Amino acid sequence: MKISLEWISEFVELPPDPLTLKDGLTMLGLVVESVSEVHGNPVLELEITSNRPDCMNYLGVAREIAALTGVVVRPPEGAKRMRLRKDRIPCSIEIRDPDLCPRYVGLVMDAVTVGPSPDWMQRRLEASGIRPVNVVVDITNYVLLEIGHPLHAFDFARLAGGKIVVARALHGQSMRTLDGVERSLDEEMLLINDGQGPVAIAGVMGGLDSEISLSSTTILLEAAYFQPGSVRRTSKKLGLSTEASCRFERGTDWNAPAVAIARAAKLLQELASARIAGSLQDCRPGRLEPVRIHLARARAEGLLGVRLEDAFIESTLQKLEFKPVRRGKGRWEVTCPTYRVDMELEADLIEELARFHGYQNIPTSTAARTADGQPSPAKRYELSCRQILRGLGYSEAVNLSFADHREREQFPAGCATYIAIRNPLTEETGCLRSWLVPGLLRSARHNLNHGLDAVRIFELGRVYRRGTDGGTRESRALGVLGTGETATRNWHRSGGSYDLFHLKGVIESLLASMRSEPFAFAPGADVPWLDPALAATVLVGGKRAGVLGGLHPNIEESLKLKQRIFVAEIDFEGIWESLFGPIRFAAIPRFPTVERDLSLVLPRAATWGSIRAGIESLQISELAGTELMDVYQGENIPPDKTSMMMRFIFLDREKTLTVDRVQGFVDNIQHFLRSTFGAELRKQS
Amino acid sequence: MSEGRDRLLMQFEGEAGTISNLDQWKALRDRWVARESGILSRELRRLPELPKAERPVFGQAMNALKRLVEERLDQLHEKARAARSDAGSGTVDVTRPGHPYARGSAHPIISLQQEIEDIFVSMGFRVFDLPEIEQDYYNFEALNMPRNHPARDAQDTFYLDESTLLRTHCSAVQVHAMEAMKPPIRAVSTGKVYRRDPFDATHSPMFYQVDVLVVDRGITMGDLKGTLEVFLRRLFHAGIRMRLRPGYFPFVEPGAEVDISCIFCSGSGCRICKQSGWIEILGAGMVHPKVLRMSGVDDAAYSGFAWGMGIDRVAILRYGVDDIRHFFENDLRFLAQF
Repeated sequence: MKISLEWISEFVELPPDPLTLKDGLTMLGLVVESVSEVHGNPVLELEITSNRPDCMNYLGVAREIAALTGVVVRPPEGAKRMRLRKDRIPCSIEIRDPDLCPRYVGLVMDAVTVGPSPDWMQRRLEASGIRPVNVVVDITNYVLLEIGHPLHAFDFARLAGGKIVVARALHGQSMRTLDGVERSLDEEMLLINDGQGPVAIAGVMGGLDSEISLSSTTILLEAAYFQPGSVRRTSKKLGLSTEASCRFERGTDWNAPAVAIARAAKLLQELASARIAGSLQDCRPGRLEPVRIHLARARAEGLLGVRLEDAFIESTLQKLEFKPVRRGKGRWEVTCPTYRVDMELEADLIEELARFHGYQNIPTSTAARTADGQPSPAKRYELSCRQILRGLGYSEAVNLSFADHREREQFPAGCATYIAIRNPLTEETGCLRSWLVPGLLRSARHNLNHGLDAVRIFELGRVYRRGTDGGTRESRALGVLGTGETATRNWHRSGGSYDLFHLKGVIESLLASMRSEPFAFAPGADVPWLDPALAATVLVGGKRAGVLGGLHPNIEESLKLKQRIFVAEIDFEGIWESLFGPIRFAAIPRFPTVERDLSLVLPRAATWGSIRAGIESLQISELAGTELMDVYQGENIPPDKTSMMMRFIFLDREKTLTVDRVQGFVDNIQHFLRSTFGAELRKQS
Repeated sequence: MSEGRDRLLMQFEGEAGTISNLDQWKALRDRWVARESGILSRELRRLPELPKAERPVFGQAMNALKRLVEERLDQLHEKARAARSDAGSGTVDVTRPGHPYARGSAHPIISLQQEIEDIFVSMGFRVFDLPEIEQDYYNFEALNMPRNHPARDAQDTFYLDESTLLRTHCSAVQVHAMEAMKPPIRAVSTGKVYRRDPFDATHSPMFYQVDVLVVDRGITMGDLKGTLEVFLRRLFHAGIRMRLRPGYFPFVEPGAEVDISCIFCSGSGCRICKQSGWIEILGAGMVHPKVLRMSGVDDAAYSGFAWGMGIDRVAILRYGVDDIRHFFENDLRFLAQF
């Protein structure tokens, strides 16, 4: 809302330095966003909150200034003598739907000379962002800016039967509005009709047919109170927001219509040589009562934490035009001004007291702490996970939670489905993500396209799926992505390309650091977006916890990725129960461990997992560790074979191991591997 | 006998002359004075083999030699230590870069979110984890924003169906907390929220918020101010000033906009604060009686306060980030700065 200081000084005496109002109004809740100059006059740009439609005009702001500085408001003058002994031009008004229109005021004026409005009026309208049209329309807009109540002027000659009927639209009705658009209407919309059909959409916009033109001589001025919710629904449905509708939908003063008409009539008399041609028609089918609220000083003091004097309470309310009537000690019944549509409860009055007491004058205190703080249950898991992954060199990514159409095809949500958004912003953000991996791929591509080669990122966030029962489920997932060089190449470290085992190592480190129940990796994964030759399922405590592997070549191709990408997605929430098991101290061995290495040649089909499991099945209790030290395929090894160097670590907690016993264990293992897998000792060459 | 002693002493001095570092010194020490295998111990062990008459003299001579050697060793130790620090830079080029361990970065918003939750936990708040997919009732209705309320316009909403939506703020914590527990309540919730804004430099359809609720007997607006001040000083810095002015949010009454003194110019006026010296940081107020009532709290007996703040906004202010999209593009050149 733009407020010119020169204009507002017609309604309220300004302080000697009017710019001091800037802070005063801001601290009252009318934020002065900026001060500019138009034709040499300072103009304040005010931000009016949606609960204070009464301040969307000059008189309303003048009232706040008057209350702030302790002066009196001078409302603009209206026309006198609006009751005629005999109407020259009769007009009838009928309200058929008083629930949507409890009051409608009309006044017929004739002898109107429709021409341009005076320069001063045009300048003021333009400075407020309203285009001047002609003197009649301009006066209705001028009064809207002055006192905030929307008015409409009809060309009375175009109103069939010289009458007005306020009623809900009929099914299938339509009309052409002032902007020339044919609007189809429905039964929820309120219309202003003449004897034949609609001439305006109530509170939103007038009709083209009864528009004021240069040849209009007799007009009907309309001012009414329309039910805010109804105007709002209509305006939204039509996608049509006007100066009038945005005031009606926030709530107008039901006492203002007659005042607004009187003001407009006076200006029309002065500026358009108009005459009052019929008595003011004031149609009020129901009773309208001002809001009355009980106020107790103790409540106000209790809510604000300050002491308030009765005199302060009464004078504050009075200067805001409230009428407090004492109802006992420290109690009042307060009648609210009808323009204060935000008044409903005692707390609303208390806010008025707080505004004038000054928020800055409320002393600070601290409510006593009542309980121990309680972090979120997720906190422990998320915090550890983030710290561990960062320590391993992965950066945390956050992607938007949306998924696009193509993603749904490439990353099907298993037995669940994607959750669609009814009113998405774009096609690409049409539903909620079911997986984290697609977002991580977008981030990786962004980085690769900007010249980075090595990308290590993770995301810890929610994924959203619709279950077969139709319900939505959101759960925390962990996604990890790695690609490119394994490390910055440096004199102290040689490079190499990221592969599946780097990623697997990260998952292993993470699970081990979070003291997971025993975990394992099974070949293959139940998702179509991993390369079947490079996919594994993560098992924690024997249950599926996620998948990892190389991205499927088809997806790499469709995303135009030039290097291999490795990704993991873990059902993070699903493994919480398996993490952070109790710690039980185990005695540190007093005897040294003994290591033995074996280089064996095995058939390619023998997997390390099966070899290890087989060795464990021998139940050699002194075997404290089995490591895979080296794997070799190539020269000197038959093409269907693999050479593996294994290291066995033995430990006896009771006594020192003898060479003979260790040899016995090694022989046992070697024998087992030969008989089960056909393993042969690798000949030294 | 003194002849033997002199010979040993000369031998020792000869070896001592070659000492240039600590390792060599240690070897010399072990060779001469080690308890079992040292030259002097071995010599002394010859004592029983000598004729009885010679033993005292030999013993004295050897002890004197031992003291002498130990004295010299002490001197040599000083020299060897000094020599080591002199020679240091000549041996290894320590200016070469260290081993390149990989370093992952934190996400600025996530770090802030955790920092904020920690502050509240330390102030005795319970952190609520709430769904992002929310019912209209919790997001709007129970917060005094019935259908067709004008304030809904400011929060253009993503709907999944008639009554299910993506939460537009974390304020639903007010309703959930009052349903989950009886007063006294100190609740906080942080997380992603969604509004139907196009993705550009100053808007994002997804961002982060923190919302707070306190309900108890006798909670005042002074308590709101005091708690806010503690929070904002810990979040920004101890010298920050705070200003409350009337503001409007349908779920509080009285409502307040909260400004902090500009963290760039300390209040003297700059481009960031548009010369006002203040930066708008959050919305707050006393919980609206209708909100208390709808969630089953007797508004005659209890009062409370609530506030909500954008975490992204704090990150933007604190780090001077000029484009909100940086937070969700995951450019490693951006993330590496945190």
